Amino acid sequence: MAIVDMESGALTQEEPPRFSLGRREALWGLLFISPWFIGFLLLTLVPMVATLVFTFTNINLNQQQPLRFVGFDNYVHLLRDQRAWDALAVTFKFALVALPVGLILPFALALLLNSKSLRGTRYFQTLFFMPFVIPFVAAIFAWSGMLNPEAGWINGTLSFFGIQGPNWLNDPSWVYPALVMVGLWGIGSAIIINLAGLQNVPTELYDAARVDGAGYWGQLRNVTLPLMSPVIFYSLTLGVVGVLQYFLVPLVLYQGDGRPAGTTYFFNIYLYKTFFTFQDMSFGATLAWVLFVIILAITLVLFWSARFWVYYAGETK
Amino acid sequence: MRTTILRIGSLLAVLALVLAACGGEAGQSQPAGSSGSGSEEPAASSGGETGDAVEIRWFCCLGAGDDPAQVPTEQAVVDAFNESHDDIELVLEIVDYDTAQDVMSTEVAGGNAPDIVGPVGISGAEAFHGQWLDLTPLIESSGFDLSQFPQEAVDFMNVGGEGQVGIPFASYPSMLYYHRDMFAEAGLEEPPHEYGQPYVLDGEEVPWDFETLAELARRLTVDVNGNDANSPDFDPENIVQWGYEPQYQDLRAAGSYFGSGSLTADDGTTAQIPEHWADAWKWLYNGIWTDHTIMNLAQRDAPEQGNGNVMNSGKVAMALTHLWYTCCIGDAGDDWDLAAVPENNGTATSNFNADTFRIWKDTEHPEEAFEVLSYLVTDASADLLQVYGAMPANPDDQDAFFAGLDETYSQGVDWQVAKDSMAYPDNPSFEAYTPSYKEAFDAIVTFWDTLRSTDGLDVDAEIASFQEELQTIFDRSE
Repeated sequence: MAIVDMESGALTQEEPPRFSLGRREALWGLLFISPWFIGFLLLTLVPMVATLVFTFTNINLNQQQPLRFVGFDNYVHLLRDQRAWDALAVTFKFALVALPVGLILPFALALLLNSKSLRGTRYFQTLFFMPFVIPFVAAIFAWSGMLNPEAGWINGTLSFFGIQGPNWLNDPSWVYPALVMVGLWGIGSAIIINLAGLQNVPTELYDAARVDGAGYWGQLRNVTLPLMSPVIFYSLTLGVVGVLQYFLVPLVLYQGDGRPAGTTYFFNIYLYKTFFTFQDMSFGATLAWVLFVIILAITLVLFWSARFWVYYAGETK
Repeated sequence: MRTTILRIGSLLAVLALVLAACGGEAGQSQPAGSSGSGSEEPAASSGGETGDAVEIRWFCCLGAGDDPAQVPTEQAVVDAFNESHDDIELVLEIVDYDTAQDVMSTEVAGGNAPDIVGPVGISGAEAFHGQWLDLTPLIESSGFDLSQFPQEAVDFMNVGGEGQVGIPFASYPSMLYYHRDMFAEAGLEEPPHEYGQPYVLDGEEVPWDFETLAELARRLTVDVNGNDANSPDFDPENIVQWGYEPQYQDLRAAGSYFGSGSLTADDGTTAQIPEHWADAWKWLYNGIWTDHTIMNLAQRDAPEQGNGNVMNSGKVAMALTHLWYTCCIGDAGDDWDLAAVPENNGTATSNFNADTFRIWKDTEHPEEAFEVLSYLVTDASADLLQVYGAMPANPDDQDAFFAGLDETYSQGVDWQVAKDSMAYPDNPSFEAYTPSYKEAFDAIVTFWDTLRSTDGLDVDAEIASFQEELQTIFDRSE
C-alpha cells in the first residue's frame, strides 16, 4: 500500500506483513497462553517425568548409598508392601461410604432447593453454600470440637434424647461416618452444580410427563435423572478422583498416624509420609505413580461406561 | 502504534507473570536450618573457617531445645564458648523439632551436614544411624574423664558396631508413678520403692512382678458402682478409675519392661519379636480387653481422660513412664509418688531415654567439634540441663536437679527411685537401630493402636503378621 510522507511529500511503500492475519493471531494466542504453558511445563510436566524417573532409582534422603538405577525394585517392593495394600483398602472402604453420600445428598438437597413449594430458596442456597467459603482446615478443627464425645454439641444433642453418642473420631466403627460428616461441610459447591443442572431441565418435559400420567417419582426417574446424568457423571468423576486422593482431614485430625487402628491410614497419607517423613523419594514416587494409574484407570472406565447411562441432549451420533 | 505498544506491554506483563510465578523472591531465601523460633541465625557453611577460627556448627533440635524460652540460654552458652576460644567459632543453628529431621536430612543430602547435633535422643539419632562419629579416639587423646558418669550410662552410649557415639548428658530412667490415695482407698500397701524388694499383698510377701502389678491393677480399677475389676458385678462399660497405664510408652518401650531386646536380629537385617516382648504385649492386651484395667484407645484419647495424658487426669492409679513425665503430671494432685519397676522373670528393667550431643561422622574438624562437645556436656551442662528440665547423667549434679523438682512437687516424692533406676537400664535400648527406622516406627505405632482399639484379636497371629510387615520394611533398606 502506498503512503504519502507528510514532511517530504514522497510516496513510500509499506512493507507487506510478514505473517498472515490468521497466523499472527495464532502467534499472539500462543503468547498469551504461554504463562500457563510454561507453568505447566515447569511445575507439572517436568516434575511428573522426574518422579517417573525417580521410581527406577534409590533416592532416599536418609541413605548413605550412592544414587543408582534399581530397575523395577520399587514396584516389586510395592507388591510386597502390606501397608500400601492396607492403605489402598482403607481408601476404597472409605470411598464406598463417602462417595454415595457425597453424590446423593447434594442432589437431594438441590432437588429440595429447586422445589417450587420451597419458600426462601435463595436464603437456603446461601446457607448451604456459606460453609464452602470457610477455610477447610478451620472447618476441620470446628468439626473436631463438634464431634468431641463429651463437649461436642452432636453428642450433647443425642444425650438430650437419651442416646449415648459414640466416640466419633476415636472409635474404628464410627470414624468413617464422622469423616463423611466432616466432608459434607463442603457440599455447597456440589449443591450449586446440581441446582444449575436441575434448572436447565426443560419444564416442557415435565409437562409432557405429567400429561402421560407420570407422578413425582416417575418424573424423577424418567426426566430428571436422564437429563441430570451429565452432571451426575461430572460429580462422580470428580468425586472418585477426590476420594482416592483423600488426605487433608486425616492429616489435620490425626497427624497422619492412622488412628484409630489404622482406619485413617489412607493411601495418600502413606504416600505423603513416604515422601516427607520417611524421605524415601523413590518409593514415594512409585506410590504416586501407582495412585495416578489407579485413578486414571477408574476414570477411563467411568468414561467408557458413560455411553450407557449418560444422556447428552444435544449429542449427535 | 498504540496496538504495538499494547502488544509489547502485554508481552512484558506475560513475562513478568512467568517470572513471578516461577522465580524466588529476593530476601525470602534462608540458610538451611532456618527456624520458626525467632532466633537470629548466621549463614551456615559446613566445616568452614571464620578468619583463623574454625567454624563448628551446632544443630539443634532433634530432641529438646527449640522452645523459645530455651534459646537464649543456648545462645549464651555459645557466646561464652566463643569468648573463651579464639580458634573455634561455635555457631548455633536452631530448627523447630517438628521439622528438624527433615531439615537435617536435607542438609546431609546437600553435603552441608552440621558438626555437632543435640540434644538428641536415641530415636532421633537412630534416624541417622551409622552417621555418628565414634568418639573413642578423641576421648583417649584428650584424656576426657568418663568416670564422672555411671558406667551403665556410658555403656548405654556405646552402640555395637558404632563405638562410643555419645557421652552421657541427660538421662531419663523409667519407674512406676502411682497415686498413694488410691492405694489407701483400696486398702493396699504401696508398691516397693527399692529394687529387689517384694510386695506385701493381703499380708503376704509376693514378688514385685507383672503378675502382682496385674492383680493390683484389677483391685484399683473401679466402676461407677464402686466394684473393682475382680468383682463379678464389675461393669466394664462404666469404669471411673483404671488400674494401670503404660504412659506415653510405645510398643517397644512397653515390651522392654519385660526385659531389654530389639526388633532387629544380630544380623541387622532380620525382623524379630523378642519372646518376652510378645509376652508383654499379650499382658497389655489382656489388661485392656479382658481385665479392663488399661484404657482402650478410645478411652485413652477421650478428653475426660486427658486426651492421652491419662495419669495426669487422676483416673489412673499406676503408670510406668520416664522421669521426663514430671513435665506433665502437674494436674494429677499432690499424692503421687514413685516406685520400682516390677520384675519379669526375676529381673527389673527400667528402660531409658537419654539425650546427648553427637558429632557428625564426616565433620572436617573432629578435634574442634569434640572440644565443643566436651564443653557442652561438662561446663555448660548445668545451664543447659536446667532449661531442658533433664536429669544430669553426672550423679554429682543430680541433687540440685531434684531439689528443683521438689519445689514443684512438694509432697515428698522419693526421687531416690529415679537414681536407683539408673542401675537397671535396657541395653540394647528399646529405641535401638532397626533398618528403615522411621518406617518401622510408623508400623509400630499403627500396630499398637490396632491392639489398643480392637477386641477379640488373635494376638499371636497379629504379632506374627506384624513381624512379617517389619521384615518387608527392613528389606526396603537393603
